[in-house]
Amino acid sequence: MGAQLKISISYPPIVNSKGQKAMVSQNRNVQYFKKPTYLLPVVHSQAATWLDQKGYDVIWDDGNAQRKSYKQWFNDLVSARPDIIVFESTTPVMKFYWRTINQIKEKMPEVIVVMTGYHSMRMPQETLDESSADVVLKSNHVDFALVRFADFVATNDNWRETLDIEGFSIRNGNTIRDTGNFKQVEELETSPIINRDLTRWKDYAYENGNFLQTPGAYATSVIRDCMFGKCTFCRYNGPDLTFSMMDIKRSLDEYENLINNYGVKEIFDDSGVWYRGREARAFAQGIIDRGLHKKGCYFGINTRFEYLDEETLKLMGKANFRFILLGYEAADNETLMRLNKGYQLEHVDNCLKWMTKYGMHPHLTIMVGYYWQTKEQLDKTVSEVKRLMFSGLARTLQVTLCTPLDYTPYHKECQMAGVLTTDNYDDFDMSKLIVKTPIPHEEYYNAVREMYSIAFHPKFILRQLLFLLGLKKRDWQFLFTYSVRAIRRVRQHVFNLTQASKT
Amino acid sequence: MQLVSVIDNERLSTSTFMLTVERPTAMIKAGQCFNVGTGVSGVNREYSMYSDANADFVQFLIREVDGGIVSTKLAEMKKGDTVELAGPYGEFCIENTIARGDEHYTFICTGTGIAPFRSFVQTYGSLNFELIHGIRHEEEQYHAKEYGRGRYTPCISRPANGANTQRVTDYIQRNTLNPNTTVYICGNRKMIAEVFELCRQQGISGSNIFTEVFF
Repeated sequence: MGAQLKISISYPPIVNSKGQKAMVSQNRNVQYFKKPTYLLPVVHSQAATWLDQKGYDVIWDDGNAQRKSYKQWFNDLVSARPDIIVFESTTPVMKFYWRTINQIKEKMPEVIVVMTGYHSMRMPQETLDESSADVVLKSNHVDFALVRFADFVATNDNWRETLDIEGFSIRNGNTIRDTGNFKQVEELETSPIINRDLTRWKDYAYENGNFLQTPGAYATSVIRDCMFGKCTFCRYNGPDLTFSMMDIKRSLDEYENLINNYGVKEIFDDSGVWYRGREARAFAQGIIDRGLHKKGCYFGINTRFEYLDEETLKLMGKANFRFILLGYEAADNETLMRLNKGYQLEHVDNCLKWMTKYGMHPHLTIMVGYYWQTKEQLDKTVSEVKRLMFSGLARTLQVTLCTPLDYTPYHKECQMAGVLTTDNYDDFDMSKLIVKTPIPHEEYYNAVREMYSIAFHPKFILRQLLFLLGLKKRDWQFLFTYSVRAIRRVRQHVFNLTQASKT
Repeated sequence: MQLVSVIDNERLSTSTFMLTVERPTAMIKAGQCFNVGTGVSGVNREYSMYSDANADFVQFLIREVDGGIVSTKLAEMKKGDTVELAGPYGEFCIENTIARGDEHYTFICTGTGIAPFRSFVQTYGSLNFELIHGIRHEEEQYHAKEYGRGRYTPCISRPANGANTQRVTDYIQRNTLNPNTTVYICGNRKMIAEVFELCRQQGISGSNIFTEVFF
């Protein structure tokens, strides 16, 4: 191999029989939608940027975001003749990826196919058995691992026998070689801030339901994975996973660049959980000190209940933070305890009050269909979500069917409990429940419909009208811009659930 | 979540205190953490347990953070006050590796990152281990005598009386670790990243290195 390796970081378009597209990128649970959201794969973007900086010929090949058909994507990739192709996958599309890899290897037997993602990192042997993939990268630090891999391959023809960088399973003839567990904590300052031009930022700037204003952008995550990391259903949980944190100033520099040089109007940091406490306050103060809060750009984050105190939220409000995504999951303590959520229902109202008081829009994520969830627990969740939405404590929501994925603790628990109704990975696409439950699945689907229909309820609409009295631009935008997207989103979810009911 | 009473709150150094609370009714594994809240603030933080997993109390070693919301309130707690506990959580535990048999452990930490290791040592009495503790000042050698002769090595970065400065990374560079050891690292992320590299350079497999970041 020469030093001028051509490396393609590729996301094939995945379209199901109903013409819906699957979304795959880190920490996204794959769902199929007719009108998809295009999410920037942040860590893979950092990998692309880093490889580019090191002089490799990098192809940013997101067939989904680039609106290609599978055929066009495949032909373009084959024409490009890369030396290395990097894929990212997760449980419901594993079989698709295995087929795709085999097709690619038929056309380009010499290409090195590297599989990344939380499913294959837990089951590397499976992907090497089921496909012609050459390497499974077992690290969540895809950028660090890929750069080390490329550097080694570029200078070692016999890399299959000699590569000793931790975190890889490598096919070597008829044998598989494993280099051990990966390095769990990396110095994120070493990995570059995303090159927006290389990764075609405009492809992701508009079609994202969480942006109130466009163009929007996903920031280079300040926390890789999650500083809590204990929720049983989440990929960011395991004895070999911990979190890494990036320097505040570096992130502020990126925000300044995105706003001043790209005209970005909304920035979302998709870290599993964003800064808290001292770091959160320093970041918000940094936004203010640089005058970025007056540039008409909103900021959004993921956080947890009981992570941000009132003083911090007040400062964040001043800094023009808007979208705050919180994992609510359920409104009963048994479920929260079983999921290891680590927050108390007693404090939910207080946390949300602080956020709304300082102008932020809390967004609740809820799941239904846990294998233990009773009718009483489900009803309580629906009624509590209604209360929070009608009272204006939460502004938007997202409800999904709890689906065990990627050998998370919840996935393993479902296997141990014998409640999985299928072991076909194709069925893990969140379009239907795949666990045995105490009540019929239709009850959970109805709950999803009921929670999404809150957006059309007169009480909810009245509450949004009352927000207009505050004369905040974001509240006007919310009512008149966001509502169109909300309707679209609800229609898609209801369509998916209608299909689930038929199966 | 459970409300439990404070049994004791002992100041160990200018920056750090040990909070002892009633044991919650839960199965606890050494090395796990709890979410600890003061109830009134609506904010909690995770703290690793500092005590024997089988004891009828739970201890936390807490550094009081300047401007911190939770640690400053917990520092003021007195006997009989109530705290909220949720958990325990986490997989930074050694029960799986203990099951393998006659293991040697190297515990490497900075500051209050020593908490899970004291919990390991107190819970599993016969552990064969070496503990390397990075601290700023001599006064931070909390409960060092408990670990036994030759087991505990402090690495003091700002020693008094002009003594030599030492960080855990210096110590590992100057000393050869047991090649068959299982390494657990807990503390600040920079130290963890550096120590991981040093361990790998000494030939320790990444599969035998486990880490937990403290802030």
